[in-house]
Amino acid sequence: MDNIFSIKDLDLYYGNFQALKSISLDIDRNKVTALIGPSGCGKSTFLRCLNRMNDLIENCKIEGKIQYSQMDIQTKSFNVIELRTKVGMVFQKPNPFPMSIYDNVAYGPRCSGIKKKSELDVIVEKALKRAALYEEVSSRLKDNALGLSGGQQQRLCIARAIAMEPDVILMDEPTSALDPIATLKIEELINDLKRNYTIVIVTHNMQQAARISDKTAFFLMGELIEIDSTDKIFTQPKNKKTEDYITGRFG
Amino acid sequence: MEKTLECFKRILGKSKKENIDILIRGIFGISALISASVIIIIIIFITIKGVTPFISYNQGLGQVNIFRFLTGRVWLDGAAFSSSLYGVGFIIINTVYIALLSLMISMPIGVLTALFIAKVAPQRLSIFLRTVVELLSAIPSIVYGLFGSGVILVLVYNFAELVGIQSKGGNSVIATVLVLSLMSLPTITAISEVAIRSVGKDIELGSLALGATKTQTNFKVVLASAKSGIFASAILGVGRALGEATAVSLVAGNSKSGPSLGLFDITSTLTSTMLEGLKETTGLDYDIRFSVGIVLMIVILLTNIILNYVKRKVGSVSVK
Repeated sequence: MDNIFSIKDLDLYYGNFQALKSISLDIDRNKVTALIGPSGCGKSTFLRCLNRMNDLIENCKIEGKIQYSQMDIQTKSFNVIELRTKVGMVFQKPNPFPMSIYDNVAYGPRCSGIKKKSELDVIVEKALKRAALYEEVSSRLKDNALGLSGGQQQRLCIARAIAMEPDVILMDEPTSALDPIATLKIEELINDLKRNYTIVIVTHNMQQAARISDKTAFFLMGELIEIDSTDKIFTQPKNKKTEDYITGRFG
Repeated sequence: MEKTLECFKRILGKSKKENIDILIRGIFGISALISASVIIIIIIFITIKGVTPFISYNQGLGQVNIFRFLTGRVWLDGAAFSSSLYGVGFIIINTVYIALLSLMISMPIGVLTALFIAKVAPQRLSIFLRTVVELLSAIPSIVYGLFGSGVILVLVYNFAELVGIQSKGGNSVIATVLVLSLMSLPTITAISEVAIRSVGKDIELGSLALGATKTQTNFKVVLASAKSGIFASAILGVGRALGEATAVSLVAGNSKSGPSLGLFDITSTLTSTMLEGLKETTGLDYDIRFSVGIVLMIVILLTNIILNYVKRKVGSVSVK
């Protein structure tokens, strides 16, 4: 089993506050890894380290080593634009751009220099199909994306990420703003996607982690308490804190 | 006693609190009525004054022909007080032409400044610039006019001389356009800046997470999302350019015929024509300025309608 990410002794500070404490873990290629834990435990912060979105936060200091495909992504010289095309991200709240469905999906490829209409057409169609959205929107690609329902918008955001042909898709609570039916569709989609992509998903919903992930990592107060296969975490956790959390004793 | 009060309350169906509500609603209504009626009174006053030249015989000078008035290429054919052959057609064209030209300068500069203040500049610099822009928009127009006549006219005059064009002391279309651009710049910048700043952070992050650079994000996503607000700033900018009188009068040259399309020609706008000599004239020559006022109000109204239409088409997004 090869690792697409390998993190060693990662510390992260927001000003004087230490949000992540000496995190070390590996993320398997083409698997779904779920990050669980109570609010403020650092799981979203950790996720944002993987495509260096924390760069955009002032006063954020990171120490330690994050390797993506054996490359050290924390170094100053590392091309962060390139990294983000390979490590896509889907956010908690669907955030389509106020433009057409087509333009939303074509946005990333266009930014990285693909101009040809025929080429973009192929990319857009493929991405929408993979995100299981094509059939619903094929007749109205020129319509504004903000007219879609919340679930469709979120799948559009996934399509938008897929259009870049990434290796990894990071998902930060992608279903927390959606209704149960839309959530189910996204979960099915995640199951399909893991054949081609590595998925790291932050979730508040433990059933969701149990349903869709292969591996689960439990975070608490900025520390990684335990990471193991999802089965093990949910049936025989090694750590008492993990057990308390998944049985609903706190959080 | 208390029982009777209770009874009254029940009959009226209203408590003390509800009565206060009614009272306050009344005060609001009266205030609204006062402001609305002021506008109506002004419109009625200007309309009556402005229509007079077309329907009265103007103390023997004869009625002003409305068609000739609207299409005329000369302000007054003949001498004042002995002719009724007024025309503002060329002035309408001058006014719209100048407003559009000044928008072409102030819009790009204003929007880019707004983008810089809202997204690019470090926090301290952007606070400083925001204050500067606010101060600029508070400067009275006469100051812009003085700056125009003292600085811009000289620059235009020297430049015209350099390229071998005779300009009338710098009074020209280009000087007017420059002064108006300077004047509308703060408005456009301030309103665009608010629109740009209110673009959701999540949209910006979405773009950056796709590997777009900051510049790509700012131009393709942020500006696109702020389109409608930016358009609103353009509408206000045009309003300022169309409606400014004092500063324009000082640098336009007040031409009496036209239209003036050459950049170094002297020109005149509806406002400068209204203002010029207003205090030294009577009779038809006085009243006709109110007619120009009506034309100005209609031009502003039409421009706003057109721009609002374009704004709806381009600016907002069609959600189905």
